[in-house]
Amino acid sequence: MTRKKVKLAFITNDSSRKATFKKRKKGLMKKVSELSTLCGIDACAIIYSPYDPQPEVWPSQPGVQRVLNKFRRMPELEQSKKMVNQESFLKQRIEKAKDQLTKQRKDNREKEMTHLMFQYLSGGNNAMNNISMADLNDMAWLIDQYLKEINRRVEMLTKNSQGQGQIMAPPLPMLANGVAKVEEVGQGSNNGQGLVDMNMSMNMNMEVNVMQKQPWFMNLMDGGGGGGNDATPPLGNVSQQNGFWPNPFFQ
Amino acid sequence: MLKKKSSLGRQKIPIEKIPKKSHLQVTFSKRRSGLFKKASELCTLCGVEIAIVVFSPADKAFSFGHPEVESIVDRYLSRNLPQESSALQLVEAHRNANVRDLNAQLTQLLNHLTIEKKQGEEIDHVRKARQMQNWWENPIEELGLNELVQLKVSIDDLKKNIGKIASKCMMEQSNMFPPNIGANGFGRYNNFENKQGVGINIASTLPNAYNYLDFRHGYL
Repeated sequence: MTRKKVKLAFITNDSSRKATFKKRKKGLMKKVSELSTLCGIDACAIIYSPYDPQPEVWPSQPGVQRVLNKFRRMPELEQSKKMVNQESFLKQRIEKAKDQLTKQRKDNREKEMTHLMFQYLSGGNNAMNNISMADLNDMAWLIDQYLKEINRRVEMLTKNSQGQGQIMAPPLPMLANGVAKVEEVGQGSNNGQGLVDMNMSMNMNMEVNVMQKQPWFMNLMDGGGGGGNDATPPLGNVSQQNGFWPNPFFQ
Repeated sequence: MLKKKSSLGRQKIPIEKIPKKSHLQVTFSKRRSGLFKKASELCTLCGVEIAIVVFSPADKAFSFGHPEVESIVDRYLSRNLPQESSALQLVEAHRNANVRDLNAQLTQLLNHLTIEKKQGEEIDHVRKARQMQNWWENPIEELGLNELVQLKVSIDDLKKNIGKIASKCMMEQSNMFPPNIGANGFGRYNNFENKQGVGINIASTLPNAYNYLDFRHGYL
């Protein structure tokens, strides 16, 4: 079976066209036949060509007659519901492809965001300086989703470990430093600074303490977040279910 | 490392009625679509006229026809000769032109889709490799309680820091442009409501000056 890429256009060369017709017609009939057998259904095909005054049919003249009668007996609406021609068929396929593309792009975007989140987690602050506003929003959403999942899982695990009471989290160093202490691990490749030293590496053309002057932004941050190196209490505010942006986007 | 296949690929099956109903249904769907596609191609390549009628396992009628199912079926049943008129030929030519354009559009979409799928696979691949080094990048279900707690702390912190950046960003924004305060005080940033499907919003609402790094395209 030779595989030449065929351009989907009328074949101008007469003999080439006739040869193609013979082969593809045969293949088409075979496919109809297989469909009918595999799925145990009624089917028929009719082909009119310039090469034959009589149409070529499958399964047979009487067979086609029977299927067409069955078809014609149906109410008009039922006949036309799933009826297509080249144009409408192509439009259907285009819609489907568009949907698949949108979904794939969405998935890829989420994956990229997750990747970025992990980079921030282990790489330090410099990476975060150049994020755009749109990405910030998505990142916030993703972080919240992730936290939700973590909380769900933690809850599940603590329920299962039969009443061990309060989880005692040891005073935890920043992840960047803490990696080495965990059993399973990795050689963390993260010699970057901890996440907390934001102010120093901020690259924006603004005064660093501008934040403290603006109470307007307080609701953006977990209660009491001024600049600087606050030590994060373990198991902080577990109930941040709604995220910190008043944004219907990720309810 | 487990390699997960998205589909079984092309497998040879015997040509007899498929025993499992769900399998049968799926097969019908796919093969019907493929059949119509082949018929459509035959029409374009060789300039022939075709009609196909199939009944689904649920007895719904699916039909494909070029130029139309109706005209072919009528022609067959009444043994009439086809009617050719210059008007019809003009309609036909117009239609064929449309079909050409639609085909081109579809091909382009399918190409984009292939590219995006490849990108997705690459991202997965990179992530799997990173998971070998970084325990915290593993799926949440695979992490132990201690690890989860530790991870949570770090992410909480990240969230805070992101919030700080956002504040500064917005501040700078409002210093440069007259404020455009909407209902909840966040002005034009309410436009995040341009949701595209569920979940992640892709649209940026800032003027170009503030896309410091369009990492969507640049960083992987």
